[in-house]
Amino acid sequence: MTVYVIGEFRDTASAAQAIRLIRDHAVSGADLDVFSEEPVEFRRGVLDRPSRMSLASVLGGISFGLLSSAFIYFAQHNYRLVTGGMPVFSFWATGVITFEMTMLGAIVATFAWFLWESGLIRKRDRRAPVPEVEPGSLCLRMRCAEDEAAWASDAMRRAGAIGVQRRGES
Amino acid sequence: MEHRWGMAIDLDRCTGCEACVVACHAENNLPVSNPEQAAEGRTAHWIRVDRYYQGEFPDVKVKYMPVLCQQCDNAPCEPVCPVYATYHNPEGLNVQVYNRCVGTFYCANNCPYTVRYFNWFAPEWPEPLELQHNPDVAVRMGGVMEKCTFCIQRIKRAKEDAAQEKRPLADGEVQPACVQSCPAEAMVFGDLDDPQSKVSRLAANGRATRLLEELGTKPKVFYLERAK
Amino acid sequence: MASTPELLPYQRIREDLFRPLSGISRAYALTTAVAFVVGAAGLIAWGYQLRRGMGVTGLGRPVFWGFYIVDFVFWIGISHAGTLISAILRLTNAAWRKPVTRAAEAITVFALMIGGMFPIIHLGRAWLFYWLLPYPNSRLLWPNFRSPLLWDLTAIVTYMTGSVIYLYLPLIPDMAQLAEHNTPWRRKFYRALSLGWTGSDRQWHALERAMKLMACLILAVAVSVHTVVAWDFAMALAPMWHSTIFGPYFVAGAIFSGIAALILVMAALRKVLRLESYLTRRHFDNLARLLLLMSLLWLYFTVSENLTVWYGNDPKEMAVFGARTRAHYAPYFWTMVVLNFVIPFVVLGIRRLRTIANTAIAAGCVVVGMWLERFVIVVPTLANPRLASASGSYAPTWVEGAITAATFAAMVMLYMIFSKLFPIIAVWEFKPHEQEDE
Repeated sequence: MTVYVIGEFRDTASAAQAIRLIRDHAVSGADLDVFSEEPVEFRRGVLDRPSRMSLASVLGGISFGLLSSAFIYFAQHNYRLVTGGMPVFSFWATGVITFEMTMLGAIVATFAWFLWESGLIRKRDRRAPVPEVEPGSLCLRMRCAEDEAAWASDAMRRAGAIGVQRRGES
Repeated sequence: MEHRWGMAIDLDRCTGCEACVVACHAENNLPVSNPEQAAEGRTAHWIRVDRYYQGEFPDVKVKYMPVLCQQCDNAPCEPVCPVYATYHNPEGLNVQVYNRCVGTFYCANNCPYTVRYFNWFAPEWPEPLELQHNPDVAVRMGGVMEKCTFCIQRIKRAKEDAAQEKRPLADGEVQPACVQSCPAEAMVFGDLDDPQSKVSRLAANGRATRLLEELGTKPKVFYLERAK
Repeated sequence: MASTPELLPYQRIREDLFRPLSGISRAYALTTAVAFVVGAAGLIAWGYQLRRGMGVTGLGRPVFWGFYIVDFVFWIGISHAGTLISAILRLTNAAWRKPVTRAAEAITVFALMIGGMFPIIHLGRAWLFYWLLPYPNSRLLWPNFRSPLLWDLTAIVTYMTGSVIYLYLPLIPDMAQLAEHNTPWRRKFYRALSLGWTGSDRQWHALERAMKLMACLILAVAVSVHTVVAWDFAMALAPMWHSTIFGPYFVAGAIFSGIAALILVMAALRKVLRLESYLTRRHFDNLARLLLLMSLLWLYFTVSENLTVWYGNDPKEMAVFGARTRAHYAPYFWTMVVLNFVIPFVVLGIRRLRTIANTAIAAGCVVVGMWLERFVIVVPTLANPRLASASGSYAPTWVEGAITAATFAAMVMLYMIFSKLFPIIAVWEFKPHEQEDE
C-alpha cells in the first residue's frame, strides 16, 4: 500500500541533506516533492527537474509564425486586389505580422507548457495529501511502500526534520 | 478592350469659374454646405479650384488649378486601408467602395493632394434639392469616405452603350460632369492607353506636368501650363 | 521598523499585504464614485457620437485624426510601464524591483485595455470594427494585411495576451494563499484562479521557468508594439511623419511615460495602502533616476528629429516645423519641452530635490508632457498638408474631452477594483528561501 512520509524542515540545507540521504537508497525524484510558500533553490544534482519549456516555446513560435504567414499568403492571393502598386504578397509588408504571430505562438506555447509541466491541469497525484506549510519552512513529501516508511522517517529525522508524519492516500 | 482613364487640364484656359465644381455636385449627389462648415473643414467638393496669387495689387497674377482625385497608379491611399475599401481597378481607377468603408481615415491622411472627403453626418439636402439626385450614383451614409470617381457611372454607361451597339468606345464619348461643363473647354478626358486619343496627345505635350510628381504617386491628371 | 522590507517577519508581511483586500474606506468609495461619474459621462459622449456621427467631434478636413489617436498612442505608451520594470529588471536580476512588479504589470494590462478601445472609438462606422478581423465571410473578403492598421491589431492582441498571462502567472501562488484565509465566496473565487496550486517544487520550477521565458518574449513584443504604432504615422507620406526615427522615438517615449505612470501609481499606493515599509525611498530613488535617464533619451530623440528637419529646410516639412515651434502649436510644443525635460532634469537631477513627493510631481509633469508630445506629433502635420490650399486647424469638442477624461477614470476604477481583489505586492517574491551555502 502506498503511504506518504512528510517531514518538515526549517531551512534549505537540512531538507537537501534529507533528500540526499533518501536518494542514496535509489529513490527516484518522481516520488519526492518539496512544498513551500516561496520558491526553493537546491544545489544542482539534489533534486533536478529537467524541462522542455524552452523547446516548446520556440517550436510553438516558429510553427505559429509560419502558419500565419502561409495564411496571409493564401488570403492575399485568394482575393487579388491591387493597392498602390504594391506586390500582392511581400515578405516586407507581412514581416511585422509574422513577427507578432511568432511571439504569440511562443507565449501561448509557454503558458500551455507551464500548465502541463507544473501538473496544475493534469492533477497528478490527486489523492496525495498536501501538507500545511508554515511560512519559512519546507515540507518534504515522499511516496513509498508501507515497509519503507520507517527508514524514510529515520533519514529525515537524522537530516534535521523538526517533525515527521505518516499519511495514507486521501 | 481595357482602358486606362486619364485627364488633361489646361491651366492657361481655366478661368476659375467653378462650373466644374457645381456640375460635380449635381452629378454625384454631393451635399451642399455653408460657410461655417467650410471653415470647419466639413465640406465635400470632389473637385475644388485652388487659387495661387502672385504679386501685389494691381499687378496680381492668379493661377486657377482645379484639383480632383488624381487616380494615382501608385496611390498611397490604397495600401493603408485595412478593409480594402479603396483599391485599384483594372481600368486604372482608384475606386472607393462605400459599403466597405469603416472610417479609419488613414487613406485621407495619406493622400498628398488632400482630395478625400468624409461624411461627418448623414448627408442632408434642403428641400427640394433631394429631387435633383442622380439615380445612377449612390447616396452615401454618414461615416464613410468618398472622393472623385472620374464619374465612373458615366464610364459604365458609355461602355454598356458601346457594347450593345457592338462598337468600340470613341475618343471623347465619355465625359465626366466637370469635363462636360467647362465653358473654356479646359478639361479633356480619355483613354491614356490609346496613343491617338486627345488626352494622350496632350499628356505628351511639352506643357504637361503632374502635381507632386516627385512623390512617385504616378497621378493620371496632367496639368498643361506655359512655362514662365 | 526594519530598514529593508526583506527583514520583516513573514506574518507581518502577510498581514500588511493582505489587509487592503478587505473593507472599504470612505476615500475609496468617494474615488470610485467620482471615477464612475466621469466614466459614465464618457460613455454617454460616445453613445452620442455613435448616434449622430463623427461630426460631433472637432475633426474636419484635413485634420482627420485628433484626440482619439493621441489618446490611443498615449495609453499604449503608458502600457510600457510593466514591460520595463518586470521584464528588463527581472532579466537583470535587479532585486529592488520586487515590490513594484505587480503594480507595473497591472498598469500594463489596464492601459492596453483602455488604449485598445480607441481604434474602435475613432472609427467612422465603429459598429463594423470587426471587419478588420480575418474571418471567413459571405463576401469572400479578407482584410488588407498590407495596412499598418492590421499590424497594429496583431501587435496589440499579442501584447495583450502576453501581458495578461504575465500578470496572471505570479498571481497563482498568491491566489492559493488567499484561498486559505478568507470568506467562503471569495475562497471559491481564489481557489478557482489558483488552479489547485500546492506549492510543490515542480510547480515552482515550472513557474519560474515560464516567468523567465515570458520576460524575454514580452520585452520583444513590447518593443515591436510601440514601433508598429509609430509606423501608423511613419508609413504615411505626410510631412514630418515619414521619418525613420519614429520607431525608436516612440518606444523610448513609451518607456518614459510608462515609468512616470508607475511612479504616480506607486506614490498613491504607498500613501493610501500604508506601504511605507515596502515602497521605500530607495525604490523611488531608483525609479527617479530611471525617469531622468529616459528624459535625457527623450530629449536626444526630439532634438534629432527636429534638428534634421530644420537643417534640411524642405518647404513642406518646414511648414509643419514652423507650426509646431513658432506658430499655432508652439504653446503646446514648448510646454511639452518644459514638462518633459526641464522640470524632470532639475527636480530629479539635483539630489537634494529628489524626494518622493517631488519625484511624483515630476512624474505627473511627464505624463501630461507626453500626452502633449503625441498631440504635437499628430495634429500639426495633418493641419499642414502638402498642398497648402488644404491647410486647416483643429479644435476638440466636449465629446472628445469627455471620452479622454473617461479613460483616466476607467484606469482609476480598474486599479481600485484590482487592489481590492489581489495583493498589490507579490508576497511570495518577497522573501525567497536563502540559497544553500555554495
